[in-house]
Amino acid sequence: MWRGFSHLLKKDFKLMLSSKFFLLALISLVLYSCYINFVYVNLDQEMYPVYLYDPQDKLSVTSEYITKIDSREAVETACADQYSVGFDFSADKPELYMLSSGLETTDHYRMVWGEAVINGNVDGQAGVIGTNNKEMKNRREITAEFLFFELSAVGFLGLASMLFKEKQMGVIRVHGILPVRRSMFILSKLLLLLVSDLMFTSLLTVINLGVPYAIDVLPEVLLQAGILSLIMTLVGFFCAIRLPDFKQFSLFYLVLAVFVTTPVFLAGQTGIAWDWIVYHPMYHLFEAMKAAYFSTPMVEAPYYLICFGAIILLFLLVYQTLNCEMAKEG
Amino acid sequence: MKGLKYQLKSIRRDKMCILTFLLPVIVGIAINLLSGVSFQSMGETAFGVLENNISADTVEWLQSNGTVTQYETLDELREAVNNPSTQMIGVLQTGNAIQTFLSGDELEVNRRIADTLPQIYENRIEQLSLDKTIIPVKTDNNEGLKSLLIVLALVTAMFMGCTFNAMNIISEKEDGIEFINQVLPTTTKSYVVQKMLLGFIGGSVSTIVTAFICLRIEAVQILPFLLIVLFSAYISALIGLFIGYFSNGLMVGIVYIKIVMILFLAPPIFFYLTVPDNSIIFILSYLIPSSATFEGIMNLANGSTTIAFKDIFVLVVHCIFWFLTYLLISERQKNRYN
Repeated sequence: MWRGFSHLLKKDFKLMLSSKFFLLALISLVLYSCYINFVYVNLDQEMYPVYLYDPQDKLSVTSEYITKIDSREAVETACADQYSVGFDFSADKPELYMLSSGLETTDHYRMVWGEAVINGNVDGQAGVIGTNNKEMKNRREITAEFLFFELSAVGFLGLASMLFKEKQMGVIRVHGILPVRRSMFILSKLLLLLVSDLMFTSLLTVINLGVPYAIDVLPEVLLQAGILSLIMTLVGFFCAIRLPDFKQFSLFYLVLAVFVTTPVFLAGQTGIAWDWIVYHPMYHLFEAMKAAYFSTPMVEAPYYLICFGAIILLFLLVYQTLNCEMAKEG
Repeated sequence: MKGLKYQLKSIRRDKMCILTFLLPVIVGIAINLLSGVSFQSMGETAFGVLENNISADTVEWLQSNGTVTQYETLDELREAVNNPSTQMIGVLQTGNAIQTFLSGDELEVNRRIADTLPQIYENRIEQLSLDKTIIPVKTDNNEGLKSLLIVLALVTAMFMGCTFNAMNIISEKEDGIEFINQVLPTTTKSYVVQKMLLGFIGGSVSTIVTAFICLRIEAVQILPFLLIVLFSAYISALIGLFIGYFSNGLMVGIVYIKIVMILFLAPPIFFYLTVPDNSIIFILSYLIPSSATFEGIMNLANGSTTIAFKDIFVLVVHCIFWFLTYLLISERQKNRYN
């Protein structure tokens, strides 16, 4: 039986090679890493700039936040971004000039901030209770998000593309008469995709977090990646057996991607409070992945039990569906 | 014309394909249903305070500058401040003064606010006598993120033409219909026209329906809007042809679609949010057609119709350029076969 299994593994591996599965994962890896290292880590939002027009030098305060400019028009142009605060000291009574940002509280704070800068009241240092700086936080956050997206995509699509090719070639029909257990047919694919997903996870984490940080988080991250990979692969397996062709499958996938991953991302990244999001199964997988990257202990035993149960259930479902399909094919 | 009839017949049976074009419409409806409230709080500064620790006056002062969330225990507050997906600033009161703390991973603006808040609070009464000129803006920023999402849904809707065309051509390739086409007396021109028309019509209709649901367009803006939609849907359908041409299997095709989709959707948002209007990078962003589309619709939504015509001009240039490139490539392929 194990000889049969190793042959199955070999066959599936070759199939993955020929469908350029690894090459595509590599391209994704490069694309994501470039985006993270060249774009995402540099994203920031600076403090509200203060522009000052003071031809008679009435204001004695100097501050790193003040930019002096030499005309009233320049103040108005500088403030056109709805973000900056302008001061015009040319008349008898100084004037604060700004464009509303549309948010009442933000406008109020900008005014308060502008006055504080002009009065020189901007010293101080806030306490810091976290362990990450902004760059490390950005790296952890976006790596978790990309990994989540990629794992739910690659396992799902990769498996489907393999299975549809086999379906076309009539492999499922042939399997009906082969002396190999049906569970082996599923297991060999599952194992290969799991291994490749785990490799992808390790590479993505090491490249984008750096080796010392990556070693800290990898055990937990790999565990979460494994769970996600198994679940998504099994779901992909089920859909691929059920749907008639790959085109339909990929369109179905598009629908799924939009409705499954988008709300999860929105809730995860922006902290929008949606009460219903707790009923979204993928949300918990995403939160667990993120917690793993930030090394925050939030995942507990019931979560693992449910994941384990889901994997077993999905496996049985796939097994049953495969049986039906083979019976149908004769 | 007859060819087109067959094409239509073949997609009529494909329910999933119709669903793809409906997808942006559904997203549009969903965005429309989301209340503005859940988005509003995003642009504001968030403060977290301890329930028993803080006076009502201080809460009121904080509330005039941002949103305030109250927590029962210090641990809960620290956890909320430490949560990487929030930008919350923790505020504690001792006597007449306040102290602030944060997790250290916040954006520069929030770090500065936290640093300087205690002193600003201390001096909140002492005010310079100032004339305040605050120019109100036409668009409410409360709607800002919502309109960004709507424009995104619209750009996605146009992108559907590309997905559809690419999938259509690739699956024909897989079934070997491409070879049959070479034997059939169809010209390259009629093939391209037929293939493009489907994605083009689907993309345009889907965009227009989505726009009808979410956008309020004034009468003068209808023409520029239609032009933007038509040109963009055309470019997107053309990109679909490119993908179909270059990929030799469904899996490869999907990856191309994925890459193009990221290139299509991410840069416009990025440039829109981070790069000022007059910088060189902003002008360079027009090298990506979707940037022009995005800016065009954003300008229309903000009420500046004249600027939108500049975007339309850029789109026309893109249309001509990509069409000529496609002709050149298919001409070369033809020569290779002959």
